[in-house]
Amino acid sequence: MQLARVLAISTIGLLFCAPGYAQTAMKKAEAKPAAEAGDAVKKPLSTRVVAYEIDAKLDPSKHTIAATETLTYRNLTGKPQQTFPFHLYLNAFQPQSTLMTEVRLAGTRGTGPDSEWDPKHYGSINVDKFEVEGMGDLTGKMEFIQPDDHNANDHTVFQVTLPQPIAPGASVTFHMTFHDQLPKVVERTGYAHDFDMVGQWFPKVGVWWKDAWNCHQFHATTEFFADFGTFDVRITLPQNEIVGAGGDLISSVNNPDGTKTVTFHSEDVHDFSWTASPSFAVVEDSWTGSQGPVKIHLLMSPGNMPSAPRYIKALKGTLRLFDQWYGPYPYDRITVVDPPHGGSDAGGMEYPTLITAGTAWWMPDGLLAPEVVTEHEFGHQYWYGMVATNEFEEAWLDEGINSYTEVKVMDALYGKETSVMNFPFAHMGETELQRVSYLGEPDMDPISRFAWQFIGSNSYGGITYGKTATMLITLEKLIGEDTLRNALHTYFMRYRFTHPTGEDFLKTVEEMSGKDLRWYFNQAVYGTNVLDYEVGDAHSDPLNWWEKHSQFGEDKDKNEVYRTYVTLQRKGDFIFPVDLQVKFDDGYTATEHWDGQDRWVRYHYDRKAKIVSAQIDPQNQITMDRDLFNNSYVKKSNAFALYKLRNMWLFASEWLSQLLAWLT
Amino acid sequence: MSGTRPKTFLSGAGLVWKWQRLVWWIFAVTLIFGFLSTQGMVDRAADTLNHSLASKRLVDGWDVSAVVELMQLQNNPIEFQGPAVIHFSIVFAVFMLFLTGGILTTYLRDEKPRTSPFFEACGQYFWRFLRLLIYFAIVLLPIAGICAGVGALYDKIEADSISPFPAVYFFVAAAVVILLLLAIVRMWFDMAEVIAVADDERRMHKALRRAARVLWHNFFSLLWLYVSIAIVGLVLFLVGLGLWMTFLSPQSNILAFLLSQLMILAWIGTRLWQRASEVLWYREYAQTSVREPVWTPSPTLVTQSVATDPES
Repeated sequence: MQLARVLAISTIGLLFCAPGYAQTAMKKAEAKPAAEAGDAVKKPLSTRVVAYEIDAKLDPSKHTIAATETLTYRNLTGKPQQTFPFHLYLNAFQPQSTLMTEVRLAGTRGTGPDSEWDPKHYGSINVDKFEVEGMGDLTGKMEFIQPDDHNANDHTVFQVTLPQPIAPGASVTFHMTFHDQLPKVVERTGYAHDFDMVGQWFPKVGVWWKDAWNCHQFHATTEFFADFGTFDVRITLPQNEIVGAGGDLISSVNNPDGTKTVTFHSEDVHDFSWTASPSFAVVEDSWTGSQGPVKIHLLMSPGNMPSAPRYIKALKGTLRLFDQWYGPYPYDRITVVDPPHGGSDAGGMEYPTLITAGTAWWMPDGLLAPEVVTEHEFGHQYWYGMVATNEFEEAWLDEGINSYTEVKVMDALYGKETSVMNFPFAHMGETELQRVSYLGEPDMDPISRFAWQFIGSNSYGGITYGKTATMLITLEKLIGEDTLRNALHTYFMRYRFTHPTGEDFLKTVEEMSGKDLRWYFNQAVYGTNVLDYEVGDAHSDPLNWWEKHSQFGEDKDKNEVYRTYVTLQRKGDFIFPVDLQVKFDDGYTATEHWDGQDRWVRYHYDRKAKIVSAQIDPQNQITMDRDLFNNSYVKKSNAFALYKLRNMWLFASEWLSQLLAWLT
Repeated sequence: MSGTRPKTFLSGAGLVWKWQRLVWWIFAVTLIFGFLSTQGMVDRAADTLNHSLASKRLVDGWDVSAVVELMQLQNNPIEFQGPAVIHFSIVFAVFMLFLTGGILTTYLRDEKPRTSPFFEACGQYFWRFLRLLIYFAIVLLPIAGICAGVGALYDKIEADSISPFPAVYFFVAAAVVILLLLAIVRMWFDMAEVIAVADDERRMHKALRRAARVLWHNFFSLLWLYVSIAIVGLVLFLVGLGLWMTFLSPQSNILAFLLSQLMILAWIGTRLWQRASEVLWYREYAQTSVREPVWTPSPTLVTQSVATDPES
């Protein structure tokens, strides 16, 4: 322990020196091409549908990007394709866009309904020129479409119909010139002071999926969906900028005009994002897993350096457990971006091989927010990055499964009861965090609903993240934790670098468990049923109650026989089998199993003993149960918790009285 | 005129200790009001908690999720009784306003507070102090304006800087200044109350003017007197909070109750300590200050022979 303490202190000392050290390290790294990127013609991990080459120039004073893009698209749809849709995500940050309209209605990440948007949060992307190789300039053929809501003011998707179709198996090359205006950071993207987080910033082609183009508008609650391929990106920006990106650094060349051009390459990914700031302090580290070493590139913002060791520790622990439990991490790098003060809305986001985290200068050790967000966003490298599900339509497959694995990893790393909060006076675990998130609005929307069709952002968050995680934890009761882990491993290995559906996941779970779980999934995934069981009544009554010595209130006669009744009620519409444990004052314990089909069931026992307690789900596995407080009944009243609560409330009210009295 | 009087600091505490029954009375009323304002929660939560094994999550430690879960139940059994708490707090504030005359009289006379004279004094000064309260609210308005300005400036500094620290430093500095301003205003009005009782001043605007004059001429000694006592109170409070949150075992309900009530008791004690010290200070000030003569002596020629004592 002492050694660990010394090492920790030394690490912190080194990290405080990191800005100076890191600049040097960065320069060295930029001076020569990364060996890993340069060597290999490796076998592709994915079916590469797209190849993007982007040449971008950042103006950090205006937060604008001028760029050209060459996209080569392989038509693997099996059909001739003539019309191609493209995302222009940055156009969502306009007052009449669908995203803004939805935010005004129901709020979203960090923004409540009816929020006034500072015009600085407006952002845009304009395609100035659109050419198709061999077909000429088709800029005039571009038309905005609104496949989801027909909002004519939403310009987040456009399509182009080519003069002639692209044959199956053939490729088409698009050349585009575009420019971005980054918003002041909002919805994961934008600038804060000298920090630029550049995500969803280039025209991105839709996905041919389920025999149709899938290219949804950008919504308040939705994320992204794209095809795998390669990215070669050149970025020109001032020489003092420190850059992080979701790709290998190939070269960095200083230009005579005081700028530099950095080149990145990435493959078997479906997106490319980058960040730049002269204020970053760089921390380099590495971790070795089953696929070899992984470089950890941590970009820390001013004031947050004390959190750097916490990020690193959480990241390494997560890498280790994901590698061990779910499958190998095949990339040779991971970049973690710590957004600066004022840029927190860029935090807590995932892109392939680049994640954004979040902390604060005052973050106490007992509040594990930096660890949770690091774990969660890294988890998305698996559930979104590699298993590239459709985040528009089935957000639960990335956010929900990822929240479940967050529970498992955080509990393993930081303790089941303390994986979110660990103070001497209060604690909280991940399971409970997901549960209370779900309980906020448990019955408005099914898990399987399209992300933008939820009643509001609270329901979306609670159901997509919290309910899915809670549903999977409850599923452990039916098939076992190890079986579910194996199912996730199989699902990952089977579907990585593809676009599986919810049914693919559910069938994998059924296959691995060898059980028909449709009855459960129909309620938990496709339904809005709420699970709530209650011990309705539990009491012991003397069997020969009419005899004088058996009056209530008298001490129990050793020969007295009592009839004990325990009534269970199903208060919700979710049917789930439950176990019951009944304890008696002679030490005997009875256990029952109820299929939960009826609205209630009553058990009775004739014993020379009275009931002590009755408890549904004694193992505490049915976390989907809405009210855990009515799951048990203890005969003997115990007001300890009540008095503890009262102590606090009493103190608070007395304190308020004193404050008011101060005025007099 | 009067410089720092270190003895006042200690003798003020001595006075509070000597007439500690005042502290106990106020504490008892606080406690009763506290119990009354939380009774609704107790009644509702008893059904949910007292017969449930899940309440162990609150007994063996403090599982925050259990509290959130209880609040999410349809009947929210542990809902903080805002209206009841505020209602009782206002009643308590009025009660303290009423008691102030009796408390100051006790400290001024330094004699055992007997029921009838004590409550007579309470009644005698109540309306005067109510008028003072109105003045106090008016004086707080510019401070509220300063708070709003500080808030706006804080937002601007926070928005302009990539480092979080400039805004934090500004906030701390602004908070210190605002707290000092509040302490000064409270000290001024406390002094006006002392003058109203000590000199039976009926016109509160005049009492305020006199208090301001006294404060102006003895600003730093009085401020230090107030601030030092406030620091003692704050330290006691923080130590209590630290003990409660860090060292007490989760199962120590009785100890937690005793400690929390000790903290309230200490807080009441330090507030009365400020009042007692100010009373003592003013008593001494009134005795030692030279009043302007109401008449102008006319020069008189006196011829006398003075015997000179060679030994003197």
